[in-house]
Amino acid sequence: MMNIYLLSILFSLVFLITILELVRLRKLKEQYSLLWILMGVLLLVISLNVKWIEKLAGWLHIEYAPALLFLFGLLFCFVFILHLTIVITKLSQQVLRLTQEITILKGKGSELHEHNR
Amino acid sequence: MKVLVIIPAYNEELSIQHVIHEIQSYMPEVDILVINDGSTDHTAAVAKEAGAIVLSMPFNVGIGGGMQTGYMYARDHNYDVAVQMDADGQHAAADLQSLLSEIQENDMVIGSRFLEKTSYRSSFMRKLGIRFFSMLVSLVTRQRFTDTTSGFRAAGRRVIELYANYYPIDYPEVESIVYLTRKKCRLVEVKAEMRQRETGKSSITPIKSAYYMVKVTLSVLISAVRFNEVKPTS
Repeated sequence: MMNIYLLSILFSLVFLITILELVRLRKLKEQYSLLWILMGVLLLVISLNVKWIEKLAGWLHIEYAPALLFLFGLLFCFVFILHLTIVITKLSQQVLRLTQEITILKGKGSELHEHNR
Repeated sequence: MKVLVIIPAYNEELSIQHVIHEIQSYMPEVDILVINDGSTDHTAAVAKEAGAIVLSMPFNVGIGGGMQTGYMYARDHNYDVAVQMDADGQHAAADLQSLLSEIQENDMVIGSRFLEKTSYRSSFMRKLGIRFFSMLVSLVTRQRFTDTTSGFRAAGRRVIELYANYYPIDYPEVESIVYLTRKKCRLVEVKAEMRQRETGKSSITPIKSAYYMVKVTLSVLISAVRFNEVKPTS
């Protein structure tokens, strides 16, 4: 019988394999894959131990236990997006610095060119 | 004293020549550097023809990134003073002398519209914004500032070095003052005239204004707590 738990197990497995394959093909850097692998493993462990999730849901007064899975997924997405915006900030700083250095070098180049003419 | 005037310009072919010639007529000994920030018109050619050094960014990086390129150039070429001026002709080259006369005793001199009465006229909302930032910065730095959004400034060697390493990317004027006070620089304002822009239109729209207010307020407050080991200078 198909239920949300079985679906979760299947999804986690496919997800983990996809991530590892992407790293193997060098489409994803190891440093960025770590968070995804962590997420995949966590999802798998939770999916395999339905008792844990039901117990935890009970403590938190969540009546529909799978909702806790969604909550985990959502929170993880937030963390990962935050991580990505930090990476983007760093990249845009580096791009700006490169642009500035190139502009200055280009200026020096044309100065030399005019000098030699 | 080796002086460089930095003019960031984005599509200012109509006004840039006049700005350069005005500076040359008042202070023929200064070097003029135009940072052509990805203009799609003939800004670079016109500025070069007028006798300025021109550096062209490969694409538009915004006022902060362009200005910082100027400071990097000033640092690399060992200038004693770097002066920021706008390309639209709103700053008067006649005031250059009074900015430079104070730079020996200070790390930065800011040309202010409001220190004394000048002919500057502006809309109510704009004035309110300018007031707000001056109050905010005065509060945070414990030093009185009257015109923190002014883009007419002279920077000494210490500030050139600091700005070459760090300069805010967009709407940099206000935050860059707080940054300097955190680094214990001495700042002073002198009176400066500002004219209504001669050509082109101001890029400020209502949505941009709102973003400007929020973004600049946030960066001022954050930069005020960023270097907590440094006490504000008085």
